[in-house]
Amino acid sequence: MRGKRYIAVLRGSIMEGLSFRASTFLRIAGNLVYLIIIYFLWKAIFDSSPADTVNGMNFYDTMIYLVLAAAMFNFMDTFVVYHIGDDYQTGQIVLYLTKPIEYQPFLLFSRLGNCVISFFVTFMPTFIIVYFVTKGSIVLGANLFFFVVSILLAIGVNYCIDFFVGTICFYTQSVWGVNIMKEVVVSLLSGATIPLAFFPETFRKIVEVLPFWTIYHMPLHILTDETMQLSDYMTSLGIQLFWLIVMLGISRLFWRVSVRGLTVNGG
Amino acid sequence: MEQMIKMTDINKEFKILNRHEGIKGSIQDLFSRDYQILKAVDGVTMDIMPGEMVGYLGPNGAGKSTTIKMMTGVLEPTSGEIFVNGRVPYENRTRNAQDIGVVFGQRSQLWWALPVIESFRILKEIYQISDRDFKENLEYYDALVGASELYHKPVRQMSLGQRTLCDILAAFLHNPGIVFMDEPTIGLDVSMKSKIRELVGTLNKEKGTTIILTTHDMGDVDALCKRIVIIDKGRMIYDNDIEHLRSFFGAYRTIRIQFDRHAQALDGEVLKQQAMEAEEWLRLKFPNAKSLAVSMEDNWIQILINEDEVHMMNVVNCIQEKRQIADMNLQEISTESVIRKIYEGGIV
Repeated sequence: MRGKRYIAVLRGSIMEGLSFRASTFLRIAGNLVYLIIIYFLWKAIFDSSPADTVNGMNFYDTMIYLVLAAAMFNFMDTFVVYHIGDDYQTGQIVLYLTKPIEYQPFLLFSRLGNCVISFFVTFMPTFIIVYFVTKGSIVLGANLFFFVVSILLAIGVNYCIDFFVGTICFYTQSVWGVNIMKEVVVSLLSGATIPLAFFPETFRKIVEVLPFWTIYHMPLHILTDETMQLSDYMTSLGIQLFWLIVMLGISRLFWRVSVRGLTVNGG
Repeated sequence: MEQMIKMTDINKEFKILNRHEGIKGSIQDLFSRDYQILKAVDGVTMDIMPGEMVGYLGPNGAGKSTTIKMMTGVLEPTSGEIFVNGRVPYENRTRNAQDIGVVFGQRSQLWWALPVIESFRILKEIYQISDRDFKENLEYYDALVGASELYHKPVRQMSLGQRTLCDILAAFLHNPGIVFMDEPTIGLDVSMKSKIRELVGTLNKEKGTTIILTTHDMGDVDALCKRIVIIDKGRMIYDNDIEHLRSFFGAYRTIRIQFDRHAQALDGEVLKQQAMEAEEWLRLKFPNAKSLAVSMEDNWIQILINEDEVHMMNVVNCIQEKRQIADMNLQEISTESVIRKIYEGGIV
C-alpha cells in the first residue's frame, strides 16, 4: 500500500504541472532556440572537415543524437538540486520530515509530473519531427521498447545523482554553485552536449567507468544504433541497472547521514 | 492517564563555526575547525496530558522551535529522554509522523497551484485515511467553518487567512493525537485571527486533540490556553496555569491618574512636568519599590507598581497629599505586559 501514497503525489504533480501552461510553452521555445544554435555549430564543424563523417558519425547522425539529447534534457532536468536547496533554506523541509513518507521518493514523484508532461509536449513532438525530417534514419522496432526501459533507468540514475548533489546543500548552505558544477559535469560526461564518439579514446575509457553516460548516451544509443543485438541491449540495460542500484544506495546513505546531522534553518 | 508528551531533562547543543571578519577571515573560515557549542535547549522537563492545549512561549531564539523539532522527531536531543505518545520520536520518525499534525503560520503544506481538495486527497493517501474518516472530516469542516466553499479554489488564489484556515484543517485531517502550531495567526487581520482561534479551540475540545501552540500573540494565548510554558535561553522559566502567571510574577497593577478635569486641553509639557513630579515624590517615599515606573499615555499618567513591594492605596495617598487627583482608574496588568517583562528580564 506504500506505493499508493506516491502515486497520489505523482497525480498531484501532473495536475500542478498542467496548471502552468505558459511555463511549458516557454520551455518548448527555449528548446527550439537551443536546437537552432547546435544546428549551425555542428554544421560549421562538419563543413570545415574534409570528410563527410567525423569520428564515424555523419552530420545527420550527430544532429539526430543532439536534438534528441536536448529533448531528453528537457524532460529529465527536474531541478531536484534546486528544490532540495530551497526546501532546506526555507525550512519547508520540516513539513516533509513530519509526514509518514520518505523524502527521497516523495520528491521524485512530486517532480515526475513535469517529466511526464515534458515527455509528451517536448520529447515526443521533437522525436516525430526528427523521424520524418531524416526520412527513416531512425529504424523503429524492438529498440523502441528497450529505449523506454532505458529511459526509465536513466531517470532513476539521474535522479539519484541529483539527489546526492542536492544533499550536499546541507553542508554548503547554498545551492547555486553546487548545481552549476553538477550541470557542467553531467552534461559533458553524459554525452548530452557532445556525443561520446567525439571524445579522445582515453577520455572515453574513463567516462565509461563513470555513471553519467548511462543517463543520455545509453538510451540514445539504444534508440539510434540499428546494429545492436539483443545481447547488446541487455548489456546496456545491465550497466544502467548496476549504476541505478549503486547510486540509489549511495544517495540514500548520504541522505540518512545528513538528516541525522540536520539543523533546519529559520525559526 | 498516560502522558501525551513526556520530556525529561532534554538538552540540545549545536556546533557553530566561529566566523572571522573580512575577506581574509572568510577564507580562514573555509578551513577553520574553530567551533563553539551553543546550548539551544538546556534541561527542559515537561509532561503534557492528552487533550491539553499548551501555550509555548519565549522570545525569538529562545529554543522553542528546537524543542518542537525534537517532539516531531526532526531533531535528536543531545541528551535526555523524550516520549511522544509512548514512542521515541527520532527513532520512529515515520511512525510518529502518523500521529502528529503540524501547522506553520509562515509555511504551507498545501499544493500551491492545486485546489485545496486535491491537497487533501494527497494527504488522504499519505496518511492512509479511510474513506469514511475522510468524508466525515470534510463534512465536519464544512459544518464548522463552511469549508466547502474553499475546497475547489486553488491555494495560490487564496488570501492568507483562507490559506491558514485550510492549513489548519489539513493538519487535523488524519485525526492526529497531537498537533503542533507555530504562530498560526501570524499576519492575519483581527477578524480572521478570532475565527482561527475559535476553530482551534473547537477542534481541541471536540476532537480531544492535544495542541502545542507557539506564538508571540498574547491574544492567542489568552483566548486558547489554560496552561503556558515559557522558555528563555533554552531554559524553562515557567510552567503553570495562565491565571497563576500574574500572581507568580508579582502583583503588578497600573494606576492611571489625571490631575486636571480638563486634561485633554493640557499640552504635553505640563503633563510631563506633573508625571516627573509624581515620580519624584514616590521614589522619595518608597525607595524599596524597584519595579515602580511612571509613564504617560493619552493624557493619563500611568504608574506601574508591584503590590508585593508597595500597596496601591499608599501610592494613591502619597500623591493625594501633594496634589488633588481629579480622575483615576486601575488596570490589572495584561498577560502581554507580564510576558514582555519576563522577556526583557525584568522579573525572575
